[in-house]
Amino acid sequence: MLITKESILLDCAIKDKEQIIRRMASHALQINRITDVEPFVQAVLHREGEFSTGVGYGIAIPHGKSNVVREAFVLFCRVDHVDWSSLDGTDVDMVFMIGVPEMDTSNEHLKILALLSRKLMKDEFRQALRNALHEDEIMEILKKWEII
Amino acid sequence: MKVLAVTACPTGIAHTYMAAEAISEAAQKKGYEVKVETRGSVGVENELSHEDIKNADFIVLACDTAVPTDRFVGKKVLSVSVSEAIKDAEGLLLKAQNAPVMKSQTQSSEPEENKGQNSFYKHLMSGVSFMIPFVVAGGIAIAISFAFGYDAFQTPGTLPAYLMAIGGSGGFGLMVPILAGYIAYSIADRPGLAPGMIGGVVAGQIGAGFLGGMVAGFLAGYVVNAIKKYIKLPKSLQGIMPVLIIPVFGSLIVGLLLFYVLGSPMAAINKAVADFLMGLSGGSAIVLGLLLGLMMAFDMGGPINKAAYAFGTATLVAGQGSAVMAAVMAGGMVPPLGIGLATLVFKKKFIAAEQEAGKANLVLGASFITEGAIPFAAADPLHVMPSIMAGGALAGALSMAFGATLAVPHGGIFVLFAVENIIGYVIAIGAGSLVTAVLLGVLKKDVA
Repeated sequence: MLITKESILLDCAIKDKEQIIRRMASHALQINRITDVEPFVQAVLHREGEFSTGVGYGIAIPHGKSNVVREAFVLFCRVDHVDWSSLDGTDVDMVFMIGVPEMDTSNEHLKILALLSRKLMKDEFRQALRNALHEDEIMEILKKWEII
Repeated sequence: MKVLAVTACPTGIAHTYMAAEAISEAAQKKGYEVKVETRGSVGVENELSHEDIKNADFIVLACDTAVPTDRFVGKKVLSVSVSEAIKDAEGLLLKAQNAPVMKSQTQSSEPEENKGQNSFYKHLMSGVSFMIPFVVAGGIAIAISFAFGYDAFQTPGTLPAYLMAIGGSGGFGLMVPILAGYIAYSIADRPGLAPGMIGGVVAGQIGAGFLGGMVAGFLAGYVVNAIKKYIKLPKSLQGIMPVLIIPVFGSLIVGLLLFYVLGSPMAAINKAVADFLMGLSGGSAIVLGLLLGLMMAFDMGGPINKAAYAFGTATLVAGQGSAVMAAVMAGGMVPPLGIGLATLVFKKKFIAAEQEAGKANLVLGASFITEGAIPFAAADPLHVMPSIMAGGALAGALSMAFGATLAVPHGGIFVLFAVENIIGYVIAIGAGSLVTAVLLGVLKKDVA
């Protein structure tokens, strides 16, 4: 599964972009999506270095391809106004972290990621995620928007 | 109103689709008919048909990677970065209605956001980014060969000889053809590749180095575009354009131009420089060292570098150290060392791929493999070349001033045993590298 209830983190208080990426990567290790934290963090930071994944609308989508990724995953984390050097200059309050294995043969999850990216452009979808009170509600929203 | 768009980003995981969605949504809001082709990691989806293009009023390209644009000739085309489409899709649609009509793909409008980044730079970067892996692989293979002894590769059938073959004729042999080929590819799409690569090989044959390769790449790109524009075949014969007409005529025009127009000046420059150096040998050693260092760093494998290197090796007498050879090697070690140092200290000045190549450059510089610096010089010649030339010149002059000598023609740190006055020599190279690194930090602009 690309997203499960345990891949959702609500109300993370960390204010620093890199620390958030590290925090989410450790969580990915905890729930068995990756085999090692550091190589994945490096892959994500490397991508981030090319240009910011803060795509505007308060959303960031840090992502990395690495051979420590077991299978493709998405982590969702709600944060408190973090500077992500976003394209539109706004602070980020929702982070979708995406991990993809280096050697990836299936297109299935890429299609889901493409779908997720498209939905993120919808204001209604974003507001629903912002207002959700708990993990179950987020899962409901993702189901409603046909992402899972 | 019917609007078409193509979106593509380097990773192809998210931005491609976000931009596609933003454009579709903005178009629907205005009541336009819209179709967006996405080129992401899933491959090409929702591909635009000839029918679509024929009926389109205007086309938006939101792409950070090269996409085929031949098909849009004669249409209003606005080309922007992916991020701009995500940020302000509605604004784009307004702008695109007044976009210039695309004449041939070389004249497509450039991303508005990248004002400083003209098309010349974009084509250059395309070539450079494809070249970097060849330089690194080739250079490291040669460095490992040197580690077995600076002349170990001369014994046929040994591992060092094989490593030299892989790195020298393999990696370094392909380096300039790849640079030229992908500059042409960036200008003229796929048809540009063959004439460009062949032109790059010819540039090597006439001793024109990487600067010659850059000339070959641009020449090939524009020649191919001209062929596409001016050679009109009846429809039934159009199939032979990409497989016969363009490769044959493109390569012949580019190759012959290089041989006839660039070839004799290159040889003449090489000879003039060699004569000039001979005339200097009686004069001030420090000035000679300065000039040699300057020349070694100038065109890295081109006629001037070759003349300086040949001048250095000519002063070698078996078993005796040569101060000229020492200055030549110092000047040749500084460019990659200085650049490697700069990528560590001034991270903001280099894109991610350059930072990686920078680390390899430290190894290449230490092994007197000046070519490591080529991708950096090719990507930003106006700022990089003065920096490495100044560093090379200082190292050459100091090496002479300290009276350092070298008894062998190459090898970098692997031949320090053949250096007299090692401390002075190391100081000369260190000072030169430091100057190069600092100048790069001052002259180069931050990458966005």
